[in-house]
Amino acid sequence: MNAKRYLYLALLLALPCTAGAQEVGLRTQLEARGLPADLVTEVEAIAADATALGVPAGPLANKAIEGWAKRVPPPRIAAVVRQYAMHMVQAREAVMSGGVAQPSAHLITAATQAMASGIDGGQVEATVRAAPGPQAAGPGLNVATALHAQGMLAEQAVGVVVEAWRRGEPVSDILDMPSLARAMQAQGMSPAQVGQRMMQGMGGLQGGQHGRPAGVPPPEGHGRGQQGQKRP
Amino acid sequence: MSTDDRFSRDAQRYLDGEPHGELPMGERAGADRLIEAVDAYGELVQPLDASLDDAVMAAVRGRSPARRRTGWRWLFEPRQVSLRPVWIPAMAAAALLVVWLGVQRPGAGEPASAAAAVADTVFVHFELAAPDAREVSVAGSFNGWRPDAVQLVRSEAGVWSTTLALPLGEHAYQFVVDGERWIPDPTAHAQVDDGFGGTNSLIVVGPRGVVRS
Repeated sequence: MNAKRYLYLALLLALPCTAGAQEVGLRTQLEARGLPADLVTEVEAIAADATALGVPAGPLANKAIEGWAKRVPPPRIAAVVRQYAMHMVQAREAVMSGGVAQPSAHLITAATQAMASGIDGGQVEATVRAAPGPQAAGPGLNVATALHAQGMLAEQAVGVVVEAWRRGEPVSDILDMPSLARAMQAQGMSPAQVGQRMMQGMGGLQGGQHGRPAGVPPPEGHGRGQQGQKRP
Repeated sequence: MSTDDRFSRDAQRYLDGEPHGELPMGERAGADRLIEAVDAYGELVQPLDASLDDAVMAAVRGRSPARRRTGWRWLFEPRQVSLRPVWIPAMAAAALLVVWLGVQRPGAGEPASAAAAVADTVFVHFELAAPDAREVSVAGSFNGWRPDAVQLVRSEAGVWSTTLALPLGEHAYQFVVDGERWIPDPTAHAQVDDGFGGTNSLIVVGPRGVVRS
């Protein structure tokens, strides 16, 4: 057996790993959605710079596609994608400060969303550090973002998630918190009161009927909206 | 009993068709009788069909278990390898590439159970009251922001609705009215700036469903 065969064997073993690690071709993805060539080239360049800084290209492509679907002018899309890339770099640094050396695209995206909604880098770092694992940190940040957007202070929203982890609640229970908070608010509780109840563990799913406060209905798997105005 | 017991070396050469010297009469007569018997036996044997060889070889080549055994033997049998030194750095680089890519893959080292939990889906109902709309769809991170991917169905009261199976986790979306107006869902868990001057609605899907206002 000659050396070439060993080399081919090594390359054959490397091929699946390479294919699995590489994201779907950015240009192909953007062109398939009909983005103009100039915009594709510009987004590619932004993504290349961001990738060099450790930021995944996938969320940037999704942001460009979102803008194009909403019929946003290409120059505006490029500007938004560039700004989004900068935010992702900052979010990645916060996540890494929280102890995750190689954050996933989902975790970086969740941290970016959290920081864009008003949760600062230190709070992102604290949330990630308190998470039982990197896989849980992303959903935890999603929940903190949603709770903060529902009117809870950022510090309290982060505290609710961190305390739930300290109590050992699983990710699936933490994902129920925004629905639970919405239901508690529907019963007349203020966001601060909801936060206090949740901090005390009453918003979690331990004990009773999933630990749900009295009078709070269970999630029904649906909601009702009305165009242009919020329902009472 | 061996042939040497009956015939001398000269007789054996004679039988092989190489007469050498004179054989004693008795021995030569015996050898001639043996030759005649062999010739007679040869005439009795029918010649084999020439295609038989090909058929046998084809059957042997088609035996996959033997090939598999050969493959296993190839893996485990010691063999001598000749390697040019110039290939060593290339092979080392290939091996390092394999290891590095394995480490770099997103999610590497994360628990499989957690990944499986995130893969769960929950049916989520979307509704929008828009009596004057001709068509309503929902576009978001769950369908690549395709405005034509999910059309809502209108009720008599002018409420448009649909139910989607969504993975657990956070999803951003908007309703698209008449193919051109993008509007947020006021009942969502959160409303966030989409960066393009609009507002995305966020819902966090838990395993027990979604409660909205």
